[in-house]
Amino acid sequence: MKMKRILVGLAALVLVFGMAFAAGAEQGVTDTEIHIGQWGPQTGPAAPWGSVARGTDAYFKMINAQGGIHGRKLIHHMFDDGYNPAKTKAGVKELQEGIGMFAWVSGVGTAPGLSVMDYLMERKIPWVGPSAGSLHWIEPPQKYLFAVYPLYYIEAKGLCRYAVEKLGKKRIAIAYQNDDYGKNGLKGAVEALEKMGLKLVAQIPVEKSDTDMKPHVMKLKKAKADAVLLWVTPTHAIRIVGTSKAMKFAPQWMSTSTCSDFPFMYKISKGLWEGVIAATFGELPDSDNPLLQKYKKDAYGKYAAKGERWGLFYYAGILFAEPLVEGIKRCGKNLTRERLVKEMEGIKNFKGIGGKISYGPLDLAEPYACRQGQKEVFLVKCLKGGKYEKLTGWMEIK
Amino acid sequence: MDMKRDYYEDVQLFSSGVVVFWFAALILCLALFPLFVKNYYVYMANYMAINIIVAVGLNLLVGYTGQISLGHAGFFAIGAYGTVVFMAKAHLPFLLALPAGGLVAALFGFLLGIPALRLEGPYLSIATLGFGLTITQVIGRVELFGGRQGLHTPPLTIGPWHLDSDRDFYYLLMVITVILVLAARNLIKTKVGRAFIAIRDADIAAETMGVNLTYYKTLAFAVSAFYAGIAGGLYAFVLRFIEPEMFGLMMSILFLGMVVVGGLGSIFGGIAGACLLSWLDLELRNILSIPYLGQWLELLSKDYFSITGVSNIQFIVYGLIMVLIMLFEPLGIYGIWIRTKIYWRTWPF
Amino acid sequence: MLEFIQTITSGIAVGSSYALMGLAMVLVYKTSEVVNFAQGEMALVVSFFTYMVLENYGFPFYVAFPSALVFAAFLGFFLEFAVLRRAKEPNILGMIIITIGLEMILMGFVSWKFGADPKTMPFPMSPYDSVEIGGVFMSSLEVLTFVVALSVMAILFLFLKYSKLGVAMKATQQNNMAARLMGIRTNRILMVTWGISSVVGGLAGLLISPTTMQPYMMWDPMLKGFAGAVMGGMTSLPGSVFGAYLIGIIENLFGLYVSIEFKSVVAFTIIVLVLCVRPSGLFARHYVKKV
Repeated sequence: MKMKRILVGLAALVLVFGMAFAAGAEQGVTDTEIHIGQWGPQTGPAAPWGSVARGTDAYFKMINAQGGIHGRKLIHHMFDDGYNPAKTKAGVKELQEGIGMFAWVSGVGTAPGLSVMDYLMERKIPWVGPSAGSLHWIEPPQKYLFAVYPLYYIEAKGLCRYAVEKLGKKRIAIAYQNDDYGKNGLKGAVEALEKMGLKLVAQIPVEKSDTDMKPHVMKLKKAKADAVLLWVTPTHAIRIVGTSKAMKFAPQWMSTSTCSDFPFMYKISKGLWEGVIAATFGELPDSDNPLLQKYKKDAYGKYAAKGERWGLFYYAGILFAEPLVEGIKRCGKNLTRERLVKEMEGIKNFKGIGGKISYGPLDLAEPYACRQGQKEVFLVKCLKGGKYEKLTGWMEIK
Repeated sequence: MDMKRDYYEDVQLFSSGVVVFWFAALILCLALFPLFVKNYYVYMANYMAINIIVAVGLNLLVGYTGQISLGHAGFFAIGAYGTVVFMAKAHLPFLLALPAGGLVAALFGFLLGIPALRLEGPYLSIATLGFGLTITQVIGRVELFGGRQGLHTPPLTIGPWHLDSDRDFYYLLMVITVILVLAARNLIKTKVGRAFIAIRDADIAAETMGVNLTYYKTLAFAVSAFYAGIAGGLYAFVLRFIEPEMFGLMMSILFLGMVVVGGLGSIFGGIAGACLLSWLDLELRNILSIPYLGQWLELLSKDYFSITGVSNIQFIVYGLIMVLIMLFEPLGIYGIWIRTKIYWRTWPF
Repeated sequence: MLEFIQTITSGIAVGSSYALMGLAMVLVYKTSEVVNFAQGEMALVVSFFTYMVLENYGFPFYVAFPSALVFAAFLGFFLEFAVLRRAKEPNILGMIIITIGLEMILMGFVSWKFGADPKTMPFPMSPYDSVEIGGVFMSSLEVLTFVVALSVMAILFLFLKYSKLGVAMKATQQNNMAARLMGIRTNRILMVTWGISSVVGGLAGLLISPTTMQPYMMWDPMLKGFAGAVMGGMTSLPGSVFGAYLIGIIENLFGLYVSIEFKSVVAFTIIVLVLCVRPSGLFARHYVKKV
């Protein structure tokens, strides 16, 4: 009996100390290693976005297999924050003060990101490609924060303009998630329509925890909308489209890049997704872009876990990390944070698997030009079987 | 455990010189702690301290008065938003804004206590749950509070000191936590505490003996809400950013879990439960890096489960710990402590 | 006017799934005074089990669904036997925390095994085909859920009132010691109760899953079902169903006519108001304790 208690106590001690991180050293760069950190919701309601971090992981492994960057391997530290800002902060602090990260890449979520933004900026730690198209990253622009994901606000403008100008729709409504993501979309839609002399006929907020979409669809139907922007999670979007079909309400559905993974959306909506127009910020999953195919073969093919899907979120992790990798490459052997920032500011019209990415020297009057990397999106339409039809080319929208 | 000879002995805070000595030793350890450990552990200690305040306050309501509250995250949110808004928009200094936030939360606690007078058990839990959900919704709607986009907390200055590192904040938190815990302990030992315990054990009998149920039940809600409000205000500064979504049902459930797992009806239990559960909350994400266990779990995931969902093991461990503690010791961690004490005291029999 | 009727119909449709969850929770509460917070996750496990049987092993529906219900029953038996019975002298809060812990464990298992991507259940009936009656739409799945909810309620009500097992369950709740003295094996009764409530919850889960399946899908129905059961009275089966429908209707009416954002808030406020007037819910008798 006593022996059992001693063993239990020892096991508890091992658990306690096993989980503490080993003492760190430099600030992230040695002759052979560069430490990059990322957080992601591997658990919790936002868990489908966890594949972003896994995508970056595979990308870094691919680069390391090809010899690294100027002889240094990229060590990717990713942790799960469950979309809880307290955990994000805990993980960032632990990694930054323990091993010491050179820079941070991607990172899903506006709220988790905002909780660590001040911490990272005060310590002059570069952060590239937050995985959220929010205006918070560039207003006001910060020297060490480089945004890549095109703003939700821009996607809304693009979709509205297309709906009015090309499709001739007059009654546009929006169903938006009641947080920063949705509100940015709402703002963009309102501004775009104002310029064209129109107003939104309905603005329907959707709570993340709502499962029943009938009241929302009824309101949309009541407003007789003929095009509806969907600024919600994929699950909610499918529910809205499905409930509308059950209520015989069929406007032109338009959605953001979050729901633009057509093969996936088509499958889980059992074909309802046909005819939806989406904005997207990167190459399509089945495009024949050689760079995308290379990633699919070398990163996803070799390093992805069994059961991982080659989807938009996964290669978005690669997309957000490309500018950082490009910046590190340009620094050459002499890699410091200041040098990285300078090289990144010099990136002009860099094209990876997303749109063109450009930065500029920090200018507080021009946040969009200097710290928003990708400024263009393009629109696609979902065809039968989840196939794509490209509706426009890359559009740069102000 | 000598018999107490008069009322003063029963009520006094420290029962003997030995207790005072050990208490002073504890304070000394707490004060020296941040000088010896990495900053990350100081952050963890801050997080634990905030949860301790909430747990102690909630224990007053749940453990000593026998009510249930599934909406304490609502009071937490009121305290957080109250403090930040008072500081940012009304430009009150921190030392005024924090108690003001706590008092606003206490007011809402009092308001919640009124319908709670007639309710008990699952009925009370739904009422409090509804309250918690309502608060986050209402806060999210009001643009003055930043709406759904959340608010950044202003920098913290008290008089001439500028507090911006975890270590500075640690000292502030320790002072506030110690004061609040001592206040709670004091409360329990006096007339108010005895009234609470009477309400929990036999409320109709208590009323016939002259304990004013209305007054004491609403007081219990108000006091525990005050604690949660103060803790919320401090949390806003630890995180530097607040938004309504963070204060959801999961947070209320975690608070209740801390109290029950730690031990209902004991201050020590509240502290222990808060420390354990908040430490688990922050550290379990590293579960895969435990030397042998982590690798074994990863292999298991590759073969039978999906590797993409492997971090969900955190939830399993968390739930398992809660269930095991409650199964083997219904009195929680405090019960384990008491049993150990009794075992050693009556050894070798 | 049509809109009004449509709203009421939608409210009833969504209330049916809440009603099934509420029924499951009331059943457990009636027998052992434990609020089972893990009810949603038990239903989740059953749905994902069905998904696994259908997708990975390729069995047809008429094999998969009954086997899922059998699995649900065994899950209920197992949880009661292995976990809840082991609690020594539990108090109410302790049991609630145990169920919350179970809920986390089950959720963790489901997320671990199946990953986090939303999935789709190959259900024979599409959730989006609708039946139209005079301008009012109701999807065929919702009609099915409504029928199932009412029949389950009727079956359970009659079962509890007239069958030997049902009377034994009521006896166990009213006075455990006396029931044992009278020869009722209370442990077995508790196990069976959990099994039945798990089956009812499993039905709810299966009927909710055709839309989309993800690990967090049962939180909302469970909470609303619980709230509805509380409003209708935790010891009354028809009351819980009535409460669930009432919540669905109130939410939808408020959502259409006033504000969608606050619809859950209003539902809970109404519940609190109802509870202020009738502290044990609408249909249950309020027992005043003896001193």
